[in-house]
Amino acid sequence: MVNLILNGLANGILYGGGLALLAVGMNLIFGVLNVIHLAYGQCVMVALYAVYVFAVLLHIPIFISCLLAVAVSALLALLIHVSVVKPLLKAPLINQLLALAGVIIVLENLILATFGSDYVGLQISFPVFSIADIFVKVSSLIPFFVGIITLILIWMFLTRTYTGLAIKAVVQDREMADLVGVKTDRIYLLTFVIGGVLAGIVAACFAPIYTVHPHFGAGFTLTAFVIVVLGGLGNLVGGSVAAFLIGIVSQVAGVIFSSEIGEILVYTIFILFILFRPQGLLGVKVRT
Amino acid sequence: MLQVEGVSAGYGKFNILNNISIKVESGTTVIMVGSNGAGKSTLLKTIAGVVKPAGGEIYFEGARIDGKAPHQIVELGIAFVPEGGRIFPDLSVYENLKMGSYTSRARREFQTTLQEVFELFPLLEKRKKQVSGSLSGGERQMLSIARALMSKPKLIMLDEPSSGLAPKIVTHVFEFIETIKAQGYSILMVEQNVLKAVDLADYAYLLSTGNLVYQGKKEEFLQNPEIKVSYLGI
Repeated sequence: MVNLILNGLANGILYGGGLALLAVGMNLIFGVLNVIHLAYGQCVMVALYAVYVFAVLLHIPIFISCLLAVAVSALLALLIHVSVVKPLLKAPLINQLLALAGVIIVLENLILATFGSDYVGLQISFPVFSIADIFVKVSSLIPFFVGIITLILIWMFLTRTYTGLAIKAVVQDREMADLVGVKTDRIYLLTFVIGGVLAGIVAACFAPIYTVHPHFGAGFTLTAFVIVVLGGLGNLVGGSVAAFLIGIVSQVAGVIFSSEIGEILVYTIFILFILFRPQGLLGVKVRT
Repeated sequence: MLQVEGVSAGYGKFNILNNISIKVESGTTVIMVGSNGAGKSTLLKTIAGVVKPAGGEIYFEGARIDGKAPHQIVELGIAFVPEGGRIFPDLSVYENLKMGSYTSRARREFQTTLQEVFELFPLLEKRKKQVSGSLSGGERQMLSIARALMSKPKLIMLDEPSSGLAPKIVTHVFEFIETIKAQGYSILMVEQNVLKAVDLADYAYLLSTGNLVYQGKKEEFLQNPEIKVSYLGI
């Protein structure tokens, strides 16, 4: 039993690494643009299909395929920002949500029309090795290390560069950022595209693990939502912590009971937080 | 240096300013006084580019600036210290000052400007790693003014710098402004604390419900009987 739990713990931590990237992407977009990216999971889904197209259909080496998929994801983010998000920045929340819901439907149906509804996957097997009695899947190690490295890079970007500082300033007081000379329109675009890059990296990490289909995105968006609320809306550190917690809970519950129970547990925790501690674990960090 | 001609502006359907014309000569301190809602803040925000004027023109050093975006106005040399200071609360004192030098013109001279600002405000150097949300009201105002200096401005606009501060702190704030004035900066200041503000001024304007009702050099201003009664409480 202890072994099972340790296994779940190990794989949960690893899984959490990839989820943390999703949370950071959503939190950045919410913090800077004040937009809830309802279609984020679908962007990950499109990037997964991109990996499939490059690696399986075009026989491009897997690593290059992943890089290309990240580029595709960034491009998609650019398109969505310019056509849907930017024009609606000052519109009421409901308009933004409805428009992004529309993006969900467009993306899913574009993929459906192009690839059909069959599951597609990478068909790569990665080895599993064991440390003591714990079985670690290499396919889980990848999202973890890539996730941690990306998180560190994002942290360095936000704290060590002028543009990163400007992003933090925009989150705290957009009008004042304008008044010190920040070109906030460009910051909005940059942040949204960074979100796209992160979605692409998540896709690259999870490509070996998942087989994907057009409606795959919804699960990711929901998971990202749960994590982001749990960690505190807009709170990058909180979101990262929550990602690991959710990763652990779902994996451990998944091995002890079943993956369905794992899901139920995660969403029950979510509901409890919304009811009793809506500011999340570490508190909401959004524009006043 | 700054010329506002016949500017009308407001928020949506509410027209706050009616046909206002004011002038700030290089190296002088100009104040605008008037009761709440007179439109003083709106005028500063219009010059800063936050509010778009409905009519009229604004010139800075001969070039037309009305309708430009706020970041362009800063780049041209006008710094705005809004009411309450509005420092970035989760950034440190140092990071706030760094943001002050964001424009490409100011960035090149960031280190030199920082040293100059630290000489003027040694307290800020001592506290440079402190998260600015934890500073006191007076310290925040000091930081906000220092941040404005970091953009290497030619004109500094201050919106009610004494607002919400205790009387002793207000004296300190006006001392900083006096220091800035002595450095040769042009200052356009909006204030409700008329007595203290007029002391610093070279020229003054009185606004009432969106209209310019009086203007004059400091001495004339202080002599005007209506102003003495309504605004100076004499």
